[in-house]
Amino acid sequence: MTVRVDEHGEPVHVRLPGKTARRVAVVRERWRIDDEWWRRTISREYRTIVLDDGKVITLYHDLLDGAWYVQRG
Amino acid sequence: MVGSRSGVQRVPTHQGRGWAHDSGNHPDAWLNGTGWATGPGAGTAFLPTSPRASTGSRRALCLWLPTFELRLELVRSPELDTTSVALLSSGESTRRSVWQVSERAHEAGVRPGQLVSQAVSLCTSLTLLEPDPAHYDAAVDTMLEVLTELTPIVEPAGRGRVFLGMDGLERLFGSPSRQIDRALRSLFRVFPSPLVAATRAGMAPGKFGAWVAAASARSGEPVIVPEERLSSFFSRCPVGALPVDPLVVQRLERLGIGTLDELRRFPEPSLVAQFGEDGKNALAWATARRIDPVRPWHRPRPIRASLEFPSPVGLIDTLHGALDRLAERALSRPSRRGRSVTGVRLGAHLEGGGSWFVESVLREPTSDRERIAAPLRAKMAISPPPKAVETLLLELTSFGAPSAQTGLFDRKVEGGRDTGGHALASGEVPPTLRDAVKELKLRLGHSPLYRVVEVDPWSRIPERRHALLSFDP
Repeated sequence: MTVRVDEHGEPVHVRLPGKTARRVAVVRERWRIDDEWWRRTISREYRTIVLDDGKVITLYHDLLDGAWYVQRG
Repeated sequence: MVGSRSGVQRVPTHQGRGWAHDSGNHPDAWLNGTGWATGPGAGTAFLPTSPRASTGSRRALCLWLPTFELRLELVRSPELDTTSVALLSSGESTRRSVWQVSERAHEAGVRPGQLVSQAVSLCTSLTLLEPDPAHYDAAVDTMLEVLTELTPIVEPAGRGRVFLGMDGLERLFGSPSRQIDRALRSLFRVFPSPLVAATRAGMAPGKFGAWVAAASARSGEPVIVPEERLSSFFSRCPVGALPVDPLVVQRLERLGIGTLDELRRFPEPSLVAQFGEDGKNALAWATARRIDPVRPWHRPRPIRASLEFPSPVGLIDTLHGALDRLAERALSRPSRRGRSVTGVRLGAHLEGGGSWFVESVLREPTSDRERIAAPLRAKMAISPPPKAVETLLLELTSFGAPSAQTGLFDRKVEGGRDTGGHALASGEVPPTLRDAVKELKLRLGHSPLYRVVEVDPWSRIPERRHALLSFDP
């Protein structure tokens, strides 16, 4: 998955595996999770976004490895 | 009749979000000149359709039979026609209240919502009737069936109210008034004349317009509102007719905004600032900018199972046992195969007449007997049958998406008969699944199947919610 971000770190284009790149129409929701510091720390910024084709997906930015992931399920 | 009548328009005050939810809350408005019986409408409300939706029929015909249920009772027992009659609300057995009242009872001071004790003290000759939802629903089904022959776009909105999509019917049936005639004549085929004669009909662009037209019509005098006159037609319509939160209506009235004409003098930003989305929607309806099309109704095909008791049963434990048996039977029906259940309804025919129903929407689609029965037992505890039960009925009313795979996991084939609803957690593995795993192990050397186990369903971290465990029965 490829995510292009703007100068504020907000996703502007998303390309899901095997799909064409889509513009991010709206960021619906944003939240952060910092957890499990006692074993393998989790630090993520989640966003529920609407793509320009109407598809709603949930992405997270792993703040430890800097990569973007799509949340399924 | 074309256009609205002169004088003040009478449209029932709306209660609750969604249109036409609870008509007839101002009985006086209805009885004046048109009266026969009064009381709130019943059944499910419908929510306004999203303005973005483009499908459906723009031209709407609303047919409305006020106090539909009471009229049905009087058709069934014509000897009560000249007496004071009140239909009781369903629900708890203590402190029952009046749901609908006949004109005579209304004259004696009986009003919907009054406690039975109050109503009887006001009218000592009052005849009280137990509601019979099964009978009313059957009548609605018949009505919808007949109207579907007229137009494929039929959308019920509560028991005595239905919207018909009339786009493109001119060439088949002629002018709008002929179309309404045709619809009413269809009803004559299934309902007795007095019932159909009381029907109010209104035709306008969109459901809101059609509803306001029907509500302001007299029996036998339909109101037809052409597109270009819709906005002026709404001008005298009270704000209470808007399908918005009643608190919004209350505030509008307190601010001295009584009609839609007065409402539309306000700029949209002011209404949005005061009332949020309701304010915006209210203005869109008032200015006839928002036209909600009639949507084709998806006719549910429930799976039914019933149990007739040799003698009427009042014991809740016995009913619970019967419910379990019914759930098993309904789940084992071939038509349920591959589908999970999302909505259920439990009903009963009561001793001495009348019926009773409770409904439940399941939190998660399931094909597990216990998960289906548990919410119904809870509803039964809150609202038990008011009398002993002669026949208990269970309906699986809505279903999850069909899936061939789920069938492998939730049912067991025994001699070609589907026994349904078996959870793997109970240790019982369907033979079909056992065979499939055996075959896969022979091929691959290990079982590639896993069981999804709920670990921490409310975890903030999605991947912590479930775990996969190797499945090797």
